Amino acid sequence: MSEGAANRTLLPKLSRMSRFTFVDVVLWGLRVGVVLIVVGGTVGTLIKGRYGAAQWFDFLLFGLTIGSVYALVALGYTMVYGVLRLINFAHGDIMMTGAFSGYFVASHFADTGLLDRNPALAMLGVLAVAVSTSTIIALLTERLAYRPFRHVRGLAPLICAIGVSFFLEQTFRGAFGSSIRAYPDPKWQRQALSIHGLSIPLVEILVVIAALVSMLILYVVVQRTRMGTAMRAVSEDADTAALMGIDVDRVVVFTFALGGAMAGVAGVCYAFVFKQVYFFMGFTPGIKAFGAAVLGGIGSVPGAMLGGLFLGIVESIGPALFLDGIGIPAPYQLRDLIAFTLLIMVLIFRPYGIMGERMAKKRA
Amino acid sequence: MKCDKRLLLSTCAAFTMATLAASGAVAETKGPVTDDLGVLMIPKGAPIQIGAYWVMSGADSALGVDEQRGVAIAIKDHGGVLLGHPIKLNTEDDQCNAEGGQTAATKLAANPNVAIVLGPACSSAATPGAPILWKAGITDIATATTAPKLTAPDRKPEYDGYMRTVYSDIDQGASDAKYVHDVLKAQKIVTVHDGSAYAQQLVTVMGENFKKLGGTVLSQEAVAPTDVDMHPVLTRIATEKPDVIYAPVFVAAGAQLLRQAKEITGLEKVPLIGSSGQMAPDLIEAARDAVVGYRITYPDVSPEAMGTNYPKFVDEYEKDYGEAPISGYHANAYDAADLAFKAIEKVAQTDANGATYIGRKALRDAVLTIKFEGVSGPIACDEHGQCAQFKPAVYEFTNGDPKTFKIGVNPKKVWP
Amino acid sequence: MNQATTDPVSRARRQERSPFARALNIGLVFGVVAVYITVVGILPMFNTRWIVVGVVSLGHAALITIGLGAGAAVTARMKASEFLPLALASLFAGAIAGGLLALLALSMQFLNLRAIFIALSPAVQKTLTFGLGAPTGPVVLILASALLAVLGAALARAPAGVRKPVLAGLILVIIFGVFQELIQIMMQFGPLIGGLRDAIYTWEGLSPLGALVIFACGCGGALLWTSVLRAPLQARFARSALVRRGYAGVARGLLFVLLLVLFPVVAGSYIGQVMLLVGLYILMGMGLNLEVGLAGLLDLGFVAFFAVGAYATALLTADSPHALASYTALPSLSYWVAMPIAVACSVIVGVLFGIPVLGVRGDYLAVATMGLGEIVRVVVQSDMAAPLLGGAQGILQITKPKIGSFELADPVELFYLTLAASALAAYCAWRLENSRLGRAWMAIRDDEDVAQALGINLVKVKLLAYGLGAAFAGLAGSIFAVMLTSIYPSSFQLLISINVLALIIVGGMGSLPGVLVGSVALVGLPELLREFGEFRFLFYGAALIVMMRIKPEGLWPSATRRRELRASVQGAAPDDPREVAAQAAGQ
Repeated sequence: MSEGAANRTLLPKLSRMSRFTFVDVVLWGLRVGVVLIVVGGTVGTLIKGRYGAAQWFDFLLFGLTIGSVYALVALGYTMVYGVLRLINFAHGDIMMTGAFSGYFVASHFADTGLLDRNPALAMLGVLAVAVSTSTIIALLTERLAYRPFRHVRGLAPLICAIGVSFFLEQTFRGAFGSSIRAYPDPKWQRQALSIHGLSIPLVEILVVIAALVSMLILYVVVQRTRMGTAMRAVSEDADTAALMGIDVDRVVVFTFALGGAMAGVAGVCYAFVFKQVYFFMGFTPGIKAFGAAVLGGIGSVPGAMLGGLFLGIVESIGPALFLDGIGIPAPYQLRDLIAFTLLIMVLIFRPYGIMGERMAKKRA
Repeated sequence: MKCDKRLLLSTCAAFTMATLAASGAVAETKGPVTDDLGVLMIPKGAPIQIGAYWVMSGADSALGVDEQRGVAIAIKDHGGVLLGHPIKLNTEDDQCNAEGGQTAATKLAANPNVAIVLGPACSSAATPGAPILWKAGITDIATATTAPKLTAPDRKPEYDGYMRTVYSDIDQGASDAKYVHDVLKAQKIVTVHDGSAYAQQLVTVMGENFKKLGGTVLSQEAVAPTDVDMHPVLTRIATEKPDVIYAPVFVAAGAQLLRQAKEITGLEKVPLIGSSGQMAPDLIEAARDAVVGYRITYPDVSPEAMGTNYPKFVDEYEKDYGEAPISGYHANAYDAADLAFKAIEKVAQTDANGATYIGRKALRDAVLTIKFEGVSGPIACDEHGQCAQFKPAVYEFTNGDPKTFKIGVNPKKVWP
Repeated sequence: MNQATTDPVSRARRQERSPFARALNIGLVFGVVAVYITVVGILPMFNTRWIVVGVVSLGHAALITIGLGAGAAVTARMKASEFLPLALASLFAGAIAGGLLALLALSMQFLNLRAIFIALSPAVQKTLTFGLGAPTGPVVLILASALLAVLGAALARAPAGVRKPVLAGLILVIIFGVFQELIQIMMQFGPLIGGLRDAIYTWEGLSPLGALVIFACGCGGALLWTSVLRAPLQARFARSALVRRGYAGVARGLLFVLLLVLFPVVAGSYIGQVMLLVGLYILMGMGLNLEVGLAGLLDLGFVAFFAVGAYATALLTADSPHALASYTALPSLSYWVAMPIAVACSVIVGVLFGIPVLGVRGDYLAVATMGLGEIVRVVVQSDMAAPLLGGAQGILQITKPKIGSFELADPVELFYLTLAASALAAYCAWRLENSRLGRAWMAIRDDEDVAQALGINLVKVKLLAYGLGAAFAGLAGSIFAVMLTSIYPSSFQLLISINVLALIIVGGMGSLPGVLVGSVALVGLPELLREFGEFRFLFYGAALIVMMRIKPEGLWPSATRRRELRASVQGAAPDDPREVAAQAAGQ
């Protein structure tokens, strides 16, 4: 993969080649179309005046919440990619394993009443179990499925990762059944803060805070610790890093552990907001988070965070803001359309994602 | 090259013979039975093979696995024996899509010992699957496919062998509209579907009927079945100030809607109405306390209306599979199996050697004539294969503990 | 397997271990596998299927295989020349494996594990303890497993002349037992074969006598082949006139085609249907192979072109209110006219699809194309496009293709259509691969910048890759539509893109025979597992992992690719960072 290539965008070059105006026409058509829909839709929606300030605030809040979950999952993708250049397709399912194991603990605590008596302790317990489960499973997948591919070029590792994804899903389905389990819903979680008449559910605040704190910790680990420095060195150039005396194996294992732990946190956050866990729950957030990681610039920690939040917010606000105004029926059915269009538009302008370019430049 | 020509000829010959064999509807006689479509002979001691195709893999597998379990319990209740032959169930996976349905049906049709086929769960699998089975003379009793066109009076003759023990969306949609309009006195509603053929059809039919009754459908919203964050779409719905939200989606999305609707300003008091796809303990498991007060429409299976077999059925289910029923159509599957057994018992004839003979067309005709009280409601087929009528009822959940699930108690019948 | 060659540090570490530590390790691994298949519910399902009726169920077979495997693994890992230490180590490994399973059985007795693991029913416990209850059952289990492991070791140490026939016999029995339904369906033609079927099968599966016969056939066949037939046959083949004139490949190819053409006629419509599906995936695989294998453009949205081909065909030929003919002036077209139009539509969509992602590379491209594919699916399914495309209800009553008055309705007949299409497509793909364009694709795959510097027009070449790749998928989609006569958006999931990508990589990227092998392995074989429904994807996932680990270059890689991989492995070896690190640590 020659990401370091000098040619960052093809577009200026294309427009210089006057022979291929067809491409330009299509690209400009696409841009104009998207801008027209966005502007037209926004104006239309605002003129209709269907949503008040409270609704927009709600949309933003919902977007932030799901965006935080995307961001946490995206962090795992991005770190593993940075170090190994491997798209860990199974990462969403690792999140599922964390959420699933947390479910058994959480429902046990709910039955014994601990979740109501001592919420902080109970939550810590759930988190600990979820994080350790997903970390262990992440390490196992690394050891059993990915390590043999450390020096294999091509797409074999990606296919192996897809295999791991199916394997994890079906293992959980077989062992725990295909029914949908609900996380307990203690009273304190349903409380809401109200500021100026806007009510903010406590869970959502907790989730956003948890996400921010984990990202902060991660950022510190990557930027300030010896291990983090080693990780960055390996992601720049594994061979040179090894020559400098860095144990690449340890760095990779550490990266997987960190990514797994983040997935565990994401799983618990997800499960406490959306309550349901089942074997297939990791697939869609996994795909979305993958998109978010790319949106932010894969390999970049702040990029993953930004990408996740951005994707969440656009998914939440987009259909109402852009599509409602031009009278499209059932706009929320098209939220994936908006999310992926956004992704592609970003990639047209910045083929290496929002925060990815700096890294790419550095590596060139 | 000569070789190739010969090959071509032999292939053509094979084709011609195959076509002749397929088109020549000559009555076949075996033992004491003569039948236009062929006779299935089951030697003494051999099993009666019941084919089945459901969605057994992928994200929708709960639907198919649930129905397979329903049939397995029906076989067990029958003692595993039919006319002295053991019953053998051959289940194939149709993946809830058209190509899966076609492949599974082709495989079942290729097995000449299959007496009758149960399933599928998805209309998209039945559409290509049923004609293939009928071409082989096999009757197909579907267990959860509710698309109206499959048993419409103008259906093509290739669907003649297709029956179902589940009602049609047309009946349910009409009765749901009536309930929402006349009983809940709603004037303005919003409908929500999940992009599945089932839910989309049902909200369309319901919406049309609701408009006929003089109500207004403010909008037809849709979500994806894998969506978990329903807040935005619910916020949008809240701005329309509906009297009722009609959302006949499946368990996962349904539970999310239910739980999240209570968190949206303006929707706290608006009733959500679901449908039969959610009649399972799994809904309570997924929604827990949010389920209390939730109403779904489902055929009237209260003890007053019919027998009291359902609770016993659920007990057996939990004992056998370690979990409560995981989807909404296990009872229809149970009844489909029962219907098949009754029809086979009716037409089969046994000769002196103990072999059993089943005429294929006679079997199909017998299915049409049988009437009984099933676990899911009364079963009686009309001439287009519609064997279950939607005897409308509305049930309300009263408790958030999945263990208390018992149709008639939790959820309890609130209408009529 | 790979590890041994690529991981010198851990290899060194492994050699230091004592034989018993190694046996313990192997025992634990096999024990965990046994516990895994029990907990996940594979064992209970296998238990309900007989291999030999009344004697051995598939579940037993799985456990026995694990026991034997433990012994065989110990033998493979230990190079000891005497049998006794080997037998002791195997005994130990087997006992450990059995011990883990016994532990599970015991804890099932005393804890309510079923509240969490739904597959652990009382019936499973009964199987594991042979119905003997707490103290005896587990002990018997451990003993049995230890003895099986010794047997496995003995078998592995036995001379090839004994081992091979026994294995062949066992494998044949398992195949005839597991796929009995399918084999019985295929064996019903003619009184002779039918009589044979009645002889070896009872209604539930293989009879003990039948199993014995099959085992003997397998053994005898293997013996006969290795000792008598192989050498003369090979010699005769080498001597034959065809081979001498260099036509060996052609002769084999012709034989293969002949088999392909005749097989579905003999095997019936179900096999025809499976081969039809495999054929459609081969078509798609060849298309994606142009994009990914030749041009290096990773594409996870390939299903979009397939969908366009299918929907275009449906809109042009269907007898339904959504068809263009019903609300425009266009006439309802016959399939033969509609198919080229559908392919053309796919090409146009392919080019349009390629334009926005022209500047995107590598893994970013994977996400971008996945997004485009999802966009197509979401639009097709949406209420917004429902008036045109039918939305969730799909488009029904697509008419089957007709030649004169003869309708291609049966899967076998449609299979011939697919075969013809595949042959045409394979010829095109082959010609493309060796054309100027093909070389340009390979150049941009290897290095885009250098290719551009050499004067290759990136835009044109890339768009051609998308367009031509899409043409193959469009053709497949078009046949798919008439195969089903009804299409729904649920048939065009991301899973199809993933599947097509997986099959060309499992087959060997950039290789045409690889596409064939990959489709058979990933589409054909899972079809045989259709009756295992719930566990199909588990097996599929496990198979992907195993296949990639054993042959990361694919089952049938192209010659260039094989060379490249070998070169890259050799090139990587001297500066393998871990080796360097290990050396550094050692100093």
